[in-house]
This record gives sequence, C-alpha cells and structure tokens, in this order.
Amino acid sequence: MFVTWKYRTRDTFIQRLDPRARLVFMACIIFAITLAQIWDIRLLLPLFVLAFGLYFMARIEWQDIRRAWIFITILVFFIVGLNALLAGRGGPTAVLVEDSPVIFQTPTLYIPLTPWSMTITITVVRAFFAVTQIVRMLTMAALAIVIPYTLDPSIYGVSFRQLGLPDKASFTMDLAFRFVPTLGRDFALTVDAQRARGFELERLRGGILDRLRRLAPLIVPVTMGAIVSGEEVIDAMDLRAFGSRPRTWLRQLHFELRDYFYMGLGAAIMVGYIAIRLSGHGEFWVPDFMYRLAGG
Amino acid sequence: MEEKQSLWAFGTRQVVYAAIGAALYGVFSWLTNIFPLPAAGNLSFRPAVAVLIFFGVAFGPWVGLLAGLIGTYLGDALTGWGLYWNWSVGGALMGFFPGLAMGMIQEYRSRRSITLGIIYGAIGIAIGMLFASLTEILVGGIDLNTALVGYFTPAFLGNLIVTIILLPILMVAYQSVMASRGR
Repeated sequence: MFVTWKYRTRDTFIQRLDPRARLVFMACIIFAITLAQIWDIRLLLPLFVLAFGLYFMARIEWQDIRRAWIFITILVFFIVGLNALLAGRGGPTAVLVEDSPVIFQTPTLYIPLTPWSMTITITVVRAFFAVTQIVRMLTMAALAIVIPYTLDPSIYGVSFRQLGLPDKASFTMDLAFRFVPTLGRDFALTVDAQRARGFELERLRGGILDRLRRLAPLIVPVTMGAIVSGEEVIDAMDLRAFGSRPRTWLRQLHFELRDYFYMGLGAAIMVGYIAIRLSGHGEFWVPDFMYRLAGG
Repeated sequence: MEEKQSLWAFGTRQVVYAAIGAALYGVFSWLTNIFPLPAAGNLSFRPAVAVLIFFGVAFGPWVGLLAGLIGTYLGDALTGWGLYWNWSVGGALMGFFPGLAMGMIQEYRSRRSITLGIIYGAIGIAIGMLFASLTEILVGGIDLNTALVGYFTPAFLGNLIVTIILLPILMVAYQSVMASRGR
C-alpha cells in the first residue's frame, strides 16, 4: 500500500503558471460566484465554460481523475435532489415563488407507522433552479479538482510563504507534505506486522463500531510511532537553530507576464460580478420558454 | 519529549507535531474516504478525526488548527477530490478547540482528562462541522435544512462516535509512550 500523489509533470500552460497566480485566480472566481451570490445562469455559463476550458487545458488523464468525477457527480445530484426533496429551494429568495407552474407532483406519500406525510412538487422555478445549481457547483468543482493533479507538492510551502503566510506555518505545510510518504510506508509496515499476528484487514466491513474496533490496532501504533520519531526531527531542527531568524527557501517563485494577466483576469471577473450584483442584476432568472414548455 | 509548554506557544515542537498531525490526518482520511457516511452523499467516515482531536488535546490549539487545515486538504488531495476551503477551515476549527483542553490535562490516562478531551473534542467537531455545513449555503446554494440535515448532523454524529471510541485509546497509549520515554 503506497501513498502516491496525484501530481504528474505535464508540459501544459496551466502547469507553467506560477502556483500563486493559480490560487489567486481560483479564489477570485469562487468569490465572484459565492460572495456576490450570482444566480443568473446567463452570468454563470461563461464561468462554467472558462472553468472547463482551463480544466481541459490541464490535460489530466481520464483514468487518473475518473473516480473523483464520479464522486463529484454523485455529490452534486445528491445535494440538488436532497435540496428539492427537503425544501425545493436554495440560496436566492426568488425560488420561494409558489405560483410557478407545476411540472410534476407526486401523490401524498404517507410514512408508515407515523402521522407524517409528504408531497414532492416540482415546479418550473424549482426545476430551473436545480439546473442553475448544477452549473454553479460544477464550475467550482472544475476549478478545485485540478489543483492536486497539477500543483507540485514540493512547492506548496514556498507558494503560501510568498503569498504572505508566516514562515513557521508555511514550513509546517512543507513538512507535512514531506511526512506523507514516510507515514504511508509506516502504515504499510504496521499492516504487515499486524497481519503476521492474525489481523485481517480484508474483513474491514460491518457497522461503524466494528470498523473502528478493527482500525484501532493500525491507527494507534502508527500515531505513537510518528510522535516518538518527531522528537528526533525537533532535535535536528533545534540544533540548526530553526526559527531563530527568518528562513530562506531553496526555491524562489517569480511572477511572469502571463501570471499577472491570469490574476488580472480573475480580479476583473470578481470585481465585475460584484459590481453587476450591486447594480441589482444577477438574481435567479428563469427563461420564458420554460414557462411555455410547462404550459404556464 | 519536552516538558509541557504554554498553551499558545508556537515553536519547533509545535511546527513538527502540526506537520505530523496533518500528514497522519491526511493519510488516514485517504485510507477511509471510500466509506461514505450513511445519509450523506459527500461525507465520508473518518476515524482520522480522532487523531486530529488527539493532536489538539496533546499539543495545543495551534497544532490542532494547522493539522486540521493542512490535513483536510492532504486527505482530499491524495484522494483526488480537489481543494475545498470551507471544509479545510472546518477541519482547522475541529482541531483548534480540543487544543484548549491541553492546559487542563496532566495525566492522559485519568478519567477526568479523557472526559475533558471528549468534551472539548465534541465542541470542536460541532463548531468545525457547523462552519463547513453553513458555508455550503453560500458555496453550494443549499438551504438551511439541507445544510443541517444533509451535512452537519451525519458529520457531527459520525465524528463524535469516532472520537468517543478512539480518543481514549490514543490518550492512554500516549501516556504510556511518555512514561516509557521518562516524561
């Protein structure tokens, strides 16, 4: 059992960008959508196209990312479905309009042995809200999902340091990434050692309590082993006077013209969307043809 | 191992243990991310939460905060899910609040210390998961019912069960490790 990073070196425009520029751009787009509370699909679709354009430019192999997309797709449809089932609405108050034409309505469903009943009503407004919500969630997912596949684990520390994070916090990040393969190896060794004592990892099924009981002989020795070996790392760092003065980093990042352009684009989108929202636009919108389709 | 330091100290010891806590939380999360929690499509069963709470209780609030912040991302990155800032901040809060119990704990094996660890752990889980769930209203456009029923309740209960069962084992084991090292 080996812990492997999803990152691969690829000669793409996305990976040639400064990691700080990529993080700033992603933050700008997410803020543009969430802080401004944009719910108009005409404003969300350009961001959706942009996010997926960047996603495809990253050229991530499908076999690498397939499982993550399956998970995200299930998540999006589960949450949208649950939202519709529980309340039929989400962020914008416009979805609360109850006189929207009904597309589909279930008969009253009675929950056996309880006095409760429920009726699921899908209206034009609710249906189009679900479509808008899917577009919105997939836009943010397309921006976020590429990060672990395209950002070198060895430059997170210096990236966040040069973004202004304190030295010690940045080094904690750097160190955590370096510990991952070591702790993964320790975990594999512990699994082998416990198997030699009759532990059956393959039978890790059943209820939550059963799973926990079976995981404890793996989690506890690895955790305690890591704490003990951490003492040696602390001694080594103290002997090198860690923290006595500002740290220097082996690798230095430098912005290039394309990075400024990329961050500028992100900032312009964010400012533009916030301005649109402040001017009274960007609310939830339903096209007229949806009402005509429903005969409303 | 060093003597107990001040609750708010952030030196070499805290840097190293925050990094170890983050790496452990990330690796253990990656191992169990394939087990979804019942009733929550996007939440997974994470025994690693007990390790995060333990690092807060044993090494203080800053260690818990950074271990939760970085470890949540590491777990998601190793699984290939991407970067979700609100769940990382939720993880950070989940590690921070148990750290406030550190100053009150002398003997990790005692019933009082274990109870304190669980209580502060529960507070951390409640605040961290509530933050992450409520920010999903902004991020995902869900309503309050969905945030509380679909996200917060299963996440809180799942993490609390994990903490109640695994945290005492980790605390007792840590006391033995400290004793064997002459501390």
